[in-house]
Amino acid sequence: MAVRAGLLDPSETRVAERHEEAALGLAGSLPRLVVAARRASATVVHGLHGRRRSGTGENFWQFRRFTAGEPAGRIDWRRSARDDNVYIREQEWEAAHTVWIWIDRSRSMAFRSSLSDTSKVERAVILGLALADVLVRGGERVGLLGLTRPTASRNAIENLAQALIAAGDDDAHLPPAAAPIARLSEAIVIGDLLAPEEEIAATVASLAARGGRGHLVAVVDPVEETFPFTGRTEFLDPDVAGLKLVAGRAEEWRQGYAERLARHRAALADIARRHGWTLHIHRTDRPATEPLLALHARLAEPAA
Amino acid sequence: MSALPLAFLSPWLLVGLIALPALWLLLRLTPPRPQTVAFPPMRLLLDVVAKRETPSRTPWWLLLLRLGLAALIIFALARPIWNPQAAATAGSGPLLVVIDNGWGAAPEWDARVDAASAAIAAAGDDGRAVALVATADGARREIGLETADEAAKRLRVLAPEPFSPDRALLLPALSDWLKANPSADALWISDGLAGGNARAFADGLTAALRSRSLAIRIDPARSARGLAAADNAPGGLTVKALRAEASGPETVRVRASDLRGRSLGETDAAFGVGAREATATFEMPVELRNDIARLEIVGAKTAGAVQLLDQRSRRRTVGVVTGATSDTAQPLLSPTYYVTQALKPFADVREARGQGASTAVESFVEQKLPVIMLADVGALTEDARARLGAWVRDGGVLVRFAGPRLAGAADDGLSPVRLRQGGRTLGGALAWETPQALASFAGSGPFAPLAVPGDVTVTRQVLAEPDADLPDRVWATLADGTPLVTGAREAKGMSVLFHVTADTRWSNLPLSGAFVDMLRRIVDLAGSGPAPRDAAPGTQGAAAAQPQGEPAQAAAPRATLPPTRTLDGFGAFRSPPATAKPAPADGRPAATPDNPPGFYGPVDAGIAVNALSPDASLARIDLTGLDAAVSDVVAVEPTPIAPWLFTLAALFAILDSLVVFLLGGGMALLARRGPKAAALGLAAVGLALVAHPAPGFAQAQPPKAAYDERFALEATLATRLAYVSTGDFETDRIAKAGLEGLTQQIALRTALEPGAPMAIDPAKDELAFFPLLYWPVIEGAPTPSAAALARIDAYMKQGGSILFDTRDALTGGRGPEGESLKRILAGLDVPALEPVPRDHVLTKAFYLLDEFPGRYAGSPLWVETIPAADEGEERPARAGDGVSPILITGADLAGAWAVGSDGLPLFPTSSDERQREMATRVGINIVMYTLTGNYKADQVHVPALLERLGQ
Repeated sequence: MAVRAGLLDPSETRVAERHEEAALGLAGSLPRLVVAARRASATVVHGLHGRRRSGTGENFWQFRRFTAGEPAGRIDWRRSARDDNVYIREQEWEAAHTVWIWIDRSRSMAFRSSLSDTSKVERAVILGLALADVLVRGGERVGLLGLTRPTASRNAIENLAQALIAAGDDDAHLPPAAAPIARLSEAIVIGDLLAPEEEIAATVASLAARGGRGHLVAVVDPVEETFPFTGRTEFLDPDVAGLKLVAGRAEEWRQGYAERLARHRAALADIARRHGWTLHIHRTDRPATEPLLALHARLAEPAA
Repeated sequence: MSALPLAFLSPWLLVGLIALPALWLLLRLTPPRPQTVAFPPMRLLLDVVAKRETPSRTPWWLLLLRLGLAALIIFALARPIWNPQAAATAGSGPLLVVIDNGWGAAPEWDARVDAASAAIAAAGDDGRAVALVATADGARREIGLETADEAAKRLRVLAPEPFSPDRALLLPALSDWLKANPSADALWISDGLAGGNARAFADGLTAALRSRSLAIRIDPARSARGLAAADNAPGGLTVKALRAEASGPETVRVRASDLRGRSLGETDAAFGVGAREATATFEMPVELRNDIARLEIVGAKTAGAVQLLDQRSRRRTVGVVTGATSDTAQPLLSPTYYVTQALKPFADVREARGQGASTAVESFVEQKLPVIMLADVGALTEDARARLGAWVRDGGVLVRFAGPRLAGAADDGLSPVRLRQGGRTLGGALAWETPQALASFAGSGPFAPLAVPGDVTVTRQVLAEPDADLPDRVWATLADGTPLVTGAREAKGMSVLFHVTADTRWSNLPLSGAFVDMLRRIVDLAGSGPAPRDAAPGTQGAAAAQPQGEPAQAAAPRATLPPTRTLDGFGAFRSPPATAKPAPADGRPAATPDNPPGFYGPVDAGIAVNALSPDASLARIDLTGLDAAVSDVVAVEPTPIAPWLFTLAALFAILDSLVVFLLGGGMALLARRGPKAAALGLAAVGLALVAHPAPGFAQAQPPKAAYDERFALEATLATRLAYVSTGDFETDRIAKAGLEGLTQQIALRTALEPGAPMAIDPAKDELAFFPLLYWPVIEGAPTPSAAALARIDAYMKQGGSILFDTRDALTGGRGPEGESLKRILAGLDVPALEPVPRDHVLTKAFYLLDEFPGRYAGSPLWVETIPAADEGEERPARAGDGVSPILITGADLAGAWAVGSDGLPLFPTSSDERQREMATRVGINIVMYTLTGNYKADQVHVPALLERLGQ
């Protein structure tokens, strides 16, 4: 029997509790993820990284003179006793990394074929939420790009999932072109990345303008890679209504399509490399732990 | 198409089959419907440059399906017919239809007429003229051409004739006609029998037709059955059943009936394998056999299967008495031996055993035998003589044989002539020299038709006194003129004297064959009994005028007898047609067009002419070597098969859409909804494929309903009243309650203790168990089905009674219930009805009643009309022969009888409780009447009834 493929109903693709549960289950299998500090830091505890300036934190930064108007409780009497001046002890500003996650929930992600168990959006959501949980357990702060503020609470998954549910339907293929992420933040874009290469390049460029690092995860259905269609087939575009292509014999388009897909992926890899980002291709018939582990490894490695 | 019995009514539509290859090409070029997929990276596909591709093809089997669909539709539109009506002959000239209408054509007459009318109608459709000839019409001078309509009208009037026509008589006229119409074709619907020059006729017809075609319709398996040679033998009445085919074993039932049509007996004649004759024997007492007038094969509706018997085949019982002592040790010397042997073939002989002559004579006279023979009886007792004389005068035939005792006895008045004392012996005083031979039979005697035997010699005889009337009484004379046999009429009877002995002592007459014939003629003179015959053959008046008169002869002095009742072609009696002429008095062996089979002459003394002669045998016509198209009489109905083809085409269309649905990825649609939905869809489609409309076939006869033993036991272990369930709940409830109340009252007041009433459905339940049926008629009651009406009819005919209650006395009986009752009764054989007269036994059956109220008063009770009372007979109770099968009332009887479970009545009556009491009495009277019948009408009860009535 020929492969069956099609888009799922919007009602089925909406984020629901099962995503949380699945994400928790998935994340439970992984150790906490601590994003590697980009700068060397004294300790890597709880993902708090030193920021080379004074601020709140636990590591010593500097002693500085007491000026009038500062609260007297901040005086460090031991240092002040060695000298004639009054000194205040300042700690280093330690802050967690922020990881921004963006999940593509457009119509084209609702695609599911008979060769895989889940639709692309489901895999993407679960992947994103699991990643968030792992990061939060490692002490990082996670936020949804364009949707939430970064949060490091234990209930990150629930909060993020609620945010996703509240956000409703979203047909954007790429993260919104907002302000670039901070230099020390990470961005993870999970989607099918089938938008034209120029758009992807522009988005990545705008996100990485301040030097933030990112990871692109392309979730693909096995059908999109293998193109198993035969016979007379009419292809419809999920997003653009009315756009269709009738292939007389689909098997003759297979080779051309494979080449085109390879070119597309090459372009994506190129974009990523240009900005120092990484690209992962994940097929939905592979287990979800694969990209998670890969991301885990990538995020945990120290910067080159 | 000639190999198949298939024809097309619109064959030009088959040209459409040319379009099939074009259709095929089109289907090949048209690609199938694509499967639709929503493909996210479709944008990428757009960039793929598609090479020039050959479109995907429709699979070959789908192509075949569609072509087959188109072909079926084209075939169906051409209106094909299976077993087309083969035109009798396909020609353009006039059509000659020869139809056999002798007795052999009668059994399947309708089928033959249908075949002929179909051929005539086909000829009429083609615009051909028709000439219709029936073979029993006799020789015709010329045959006329008619239009098909006229010929059809004439065909309807044709009926089979009761004789076997000679077809050769028609040949000249037919040959002339065929010469005059060179382009004519011929169709002969034959009865299949070879009698009547059938083969010669067929040969002549083919010769006259020369090159044109002759079609013969003949039933290959069956032909008419016949009866011949009815013979009333001593052992029983035998008759031969004949058939033309020497086929397998077959049993036919022969029925004997009397002149009035009452059946006297039935017996079977079994044909063996390959036999064309079978014998049926009726073993019945002689008196019953003598009553038989008609033998027929049951179910064979033809005159050839009827044998009529006249009084010539009656067996007479002859009483033989001898004066001599019978010596059983030497039977040949017994005086009655020869007489008995001579009588045996045609009469039953009764001998007096161990009795004296007088006693024997008296007992024979008491038994009312038609003929008594006294072999050498001299003197009888006074009583016996008187009784014998009375018997002779009453119509008996007395035959005396001479002998020593007679010669020596005084004249007792029982001889036809006065005897001279002293016989004549060879060598005696009044003697011959040589034995005398029998010279002649008197022309006026009964022996006239017989040939004089040359071997009879007489050595001794008694002489008759030469009275003046002696010559008139002489029936047989010797060579020298002395009488040998004399006979005279006495009032209604006759006395005959043989002047020789009954044995061989005085002559060898008993040894000759002529003796048997002479005795037979004499016995024929007698009627079947001494009862007064109102139609004495021929000249009773003449005999009275001339006291000597010609001796009355069974062969009437008239030479011909007019027909009184003849048979039609189907074997039923009818009044003689205008073409029937008188038949000769001796009868004809077989019927002819002038003398159709039937009874001729007076009832008791006439003759019967039968369709088949006693030596007839039937054979099938031999058509070998005949250049003609032979086919069956009954043509198979042509069936149009277009509906079948359309059905098949519809099936293919359903299959096609199913396949397209599946190929277009329909299963994906179903599967997404869930496997259950897919299974449901498949099941629905499968059901649609299987449940196609098929032409209705005649249902096989449903097996007879099994005998409902439980119902029968329940109904018969106690006498029960029954009511017919009408379907209306309220009415049934009232009827049940009413009958229950009546049952209680009957049990209280009379000796009968009925069981609980039962509801029955006349269509399903056996009615015979119930003496009385109560039928409440409701408005709009459905008319019972034909089967139910038949059962009700049988119930009423066999002694059941139905009480119809329309319960509309208040509206005067003109309401809807009356209409319903009319409808129900329309299908039944209802006798004449009258309101119960004052002296009907119903008014006296248990209680004395004046009127018959129920809940309502004033509505009469209707019963079968009883014959009016004879004048002068004043009985308080009268009744007809049986119980009235139908009683109709309008007063609601069940309502008056109805009691509830508390024993109180359910419904009020129209006046007061006394009316309810009267209604109960009415019910008891009706039940008693149906159970006891006319019992109370018997004379025995009259005094008691009169006393009760206060007279």
